[in-house]
Amino acid sequence: MITTRIHKVALSALLIAGLAACGNDDSGNDTNPLLIAAKAAGGTVARVRGDREAEAPAPARTPEQMAAEALRVNPAPLIMVGFESLGRTQVMAMTGQNGAMRTYMAPSKEALILRDGMVIGTRGLGNDLSVAEPQTEPLIRAGRAGSAPRVMRYYSGDGLERPLRFDCNVGPGPKSGVVVESCEGHGTSFQNNYMPQGGHLPVSRQWLGPRLGYVTIQTLRP
Amino acid sequence: MRAHSILTRRLLASTVPVALLLGLGTGPARTDPMIGDVLNSYGLPGGVDTPTAEMLPDGTLGGTLSYTERARRHNIVFQLHPRLSTALRYSRVEGINDHNDLGHIWDRSFDLRFQFLDEAGWRPAVAVGLQDFLGTGVYSGEYIVATKTITPRLRASIGIGWGILAGDPRVIDTTDTGGKPNVDQWFRGKARPFGSVTWQATDKLRLVAEYSNDEYLARFLRPNGTITDARQGDDDPGRFNLGAYYTFSPSYQVGLYTLGGDTFGAQFSFALNPRNAPFPSGLEKAPAPVRPRPAPSADPEGWSGAWSADPTAQPAIQTALADALADEGQMLESMALSGNRAEVRIRNTRYIQQSEAIGRTARLMTRALPPSVETLVITSNSEGMATSSVVLKRSDVERLENTEAGRIAGASQLVDADPRPGDLVATPGLFPRFRWNLAPYLDLGVFDPQDPLRYEVGAQLKASYELMPGLILSGTVRQRAFGSMEQRGPGIPGQRGEHYTPEEYVSDPANEYLNGVPRVRSDTRMYTGNDSPTIPELTLAWYAQPTEAVYTRMTVGLLERAYGGVSGEVLWKPANSPLAFGAEINRVRKRDFEDVFGFRDYEVTTGHLSAYYEFANGFTAQLDVGKYLAGDKGATFTLTREFANGWRIGAFATKTDLSDEEFGEGSFDKGITISIPVSWAIGTPTRDRAGSTLRSLSRDGGARVNVNGRLYDKVRDAQSVKLYQGWGGFWR
Repeated sequence: MITTRIHKVALSALLIAGLAACGNDDSGNDTNPLLIAAKAAGGTVARVRGDREAEAPAPARTPEQMAAEALRVNPAPLIMVGFESLGRTQVMAMTGQNGAMRTYMAPSKEALILRDGMVIGTRGLGNDLSVAEPQTEPLIRAGRAGSAPRVMRYYSGDGLERPLRFDCNVGPGPKSGVVVESCEGHGTSFQNNYMPQGGHLPVSRQWLGPRLGYVTIQTLRP
Repeated sequence: MRAHSILTRRLLASTVPVALLLGLGTGPARTDPMIGDVLNSYGLPGGVDTPTAEMLPDGTLGGTLSYTERARRHNIVFQLHPRLSTALRYSRVEGINDHNDLGHIWDRSFDLRFQFLDEAGWRPAVAVGLQDFLGTGVYSGEYIVATKTITPRLRASIGIGWGILAGDPRVIDTTDTGGKPNVDQWFRGKARPFGSVTWQATDKLRLVAEYSNDEYLARFLRPNGTITDARQGDDDPGRFNLGAYYTFSPSYQVGLYTLGGDTFGAQFSFALNPRNAPFPSGLEKAPAPVRPRPAPSADPEGWSGAWSADPTAQPAIQTALADALADEGQMLESMALSGNRAEVRIRNTRYIQQSEAIGRTARLMTRALPPSVETLVITSNSEGMATSSVVLKRSDVERLENTEAGRIAGASQLVDADPRPGDLVATPGLFPRFRWNLAPYLDLGVFDPQDPLRYEVGAQLKASYELMPGLILSGTVRQRAFGSMEQRGPGIPGQRGEHYTPEEYVSDPANEYLNGVPRVRSDTRMYTGNDSPTIPELTLAWYAQPTEAVYTRMTVGLLERAYGGVSGEVLWKPANSPLAFGAEINRVRKRDFEDVFGFRDYEVTTGHLSAYYEFANGFTAQLDVGKYLAGDKGATFTLTREFANGWRIGAFATKTDLSDEEFGEGSFDKGITISIPVSWAIGTPTRDRAGSTLRSLSRDGGARVNVNGRLYDKVRDAQSVKLYQGWGGFWR
């Protein structure tokens, strides 16, 4: 009698454990607070391991192979982007153009918004830059020295868009043809490097923000 | 506990919130006042047991478990305002015997701390605090404390305390019902000093030494008139306490401490801050960018508007747009299209911030509509009710993409939506709409001294069938698998600690009244522990919108686990008004304890008139006046703090015309609600929430029917205060 009861309990426990939530109801459910803790913990683990669901195990390829294949199959303007903090390099294709502003997307629907090579925003990376307002831009394109402010607006965790203002100096770098933009503010500093060519910025290394760090951008097809 | 790196803290604190840029009248930009790194055993910034003048970063919600052989304290702390900390505590106090005869009692207490001076130059930060100022008062005490940063790694605090902080416990009247502020005792009796020093040994390790006058003593007035002292532990723990606290991620801290050298304690605490999400911008995919229109010379036909005469144009455009919106979790319920204006009515099923749904819809409209359409109207629907319309000029959307969100806010207009414009075409194939969800559930019961944590685990099937927008049949079936929640009757009057068995309770209808008050909630546990399937809810709800700013709801069926009947509600809330008024009336009957479709004899009409006000700084106030479930009349006041990301933390109190004696322990109904969006915790976009309501005690006074789908929260997301508060997500 007691054994059957224990059996029944154990069986139903197994059933419940195996009952991953299923259904087609997608909006506005109340969930148990413990779930949020479990999911948050899972998210942290995933973040520590540096993996994202979008990243299917792809065959290891060199950036050169990726670039060659992308140029072959995709007729759109292309850039090669290396996210240093995420430790990955990928090809992004232009999906839209609004004036001088171009939106480049990866197949996983992460986007980089550039104004002729200058990073203006990111989307879909979890710590996105909403919009950058670099008043240093004319100096950089012209390869002239000078100083100007740069405002970077971020999506903050509390659901607002919050600006960070940096003071920047633009000048020639140690290598010829490289312009360095050194910015400081809010207890941090960063250096963006550009190789301007006739006012365009085909190659650069730019800072996206405190959590995303630096990104290297190379134009594959303008 | 420092919840942010220096940079992120500056990012969060020292910059101007976008709400200010939008001219919503929030206060000036400010920095957080002096922030504490160690939580004491009472769950507030401090030393080991003693308080300091420190605060937590604004909005922080934290918890602390602190265990010694003298006390186990479970604390929840919320930084309600940059200078006001609040704490709620549920403690096992050893060495005190009550009617339950367990050798300990479980006690609830509530604290406030206000930092009225921040550190500046030579001046220390100074705070005043009230400890355990509601309820029975085992921990009652008050303090004034000053904290000074000596070196960047060393802080010292010195203060003066009353009550238990001075080793002079307040006399607790065991016959008192408690639950009300003990104002006449504040800052009275002996006053003694206390102090602490906190040294940051490494980035993660903090060492604390303190001098405390807390003798772990409680003092009771017995019904026979004698005053007895009850000590927690065998002796006075001593005056000097030491502790070490290790912060092992920004949000978690463990501590070991000793009281006087003979008593040892361990502590775990965590702190969540709504501003400090794992993925602040969310992990949702990038939106489709704006598609600017071609030059008029490149598409003269599209620019002329002549296409609008073609009857096949709108269906084709509507289908394409509905598909694209569906991919973004937006249901295109209906659409009106003319040569120069397009209106879409969307139901947002994905994003917690309505502005993000609107921003993505606007961009998709630029991609789907012919060039002659210049006016874009995005109407937010909720259960078929049109709650607001955002009017945008398409050229502004094109011009302001990739600029700060405040600029498109300035170029947009928010207006009341016409409930039934003539030219609206419903998208075919959306209704009837069937939704279901099968998932495990976990129910927790706390605050029972004899059984501090009860649980039940099982499977839950929820389904809804929406016949047409706003007419929804929905229900939930639960099957318990296992758990420790069992059916039990309420306490037997005059025999504290003894409860009716379920059979005893139902044997005499007179048991369902206590002091002439019907038992409307105090027998809630009669509804638990059922091994056969239960139906917590089965209703037909009808939402409607008679005029632009008036919304109505009618719900019929099994409204909640304990009551079934009819509920009607009406709400007046214009899209641009922070003020709203509502009325609700319910005719309900008490459900049977076991039979899922059966009813008991108690039947009552309850109703409320409500006023709501949304303050621009994220606070919402609500006043309900009316008649409650037990037939008592009174009012409920609710104050909620709400963040743009959807975090909600609120407190409520209800006072009705029941006397304190009729109401029983606690004197009046009060509690807190916490609701956290799941998307904040995990990054992926969803409107799901996790949360809970903690009330002081389940009593019969001030109880209301829990009807799902009340109008206020259905209507508000797309209206001015909430929409603009969360406008930062428009271009996300």
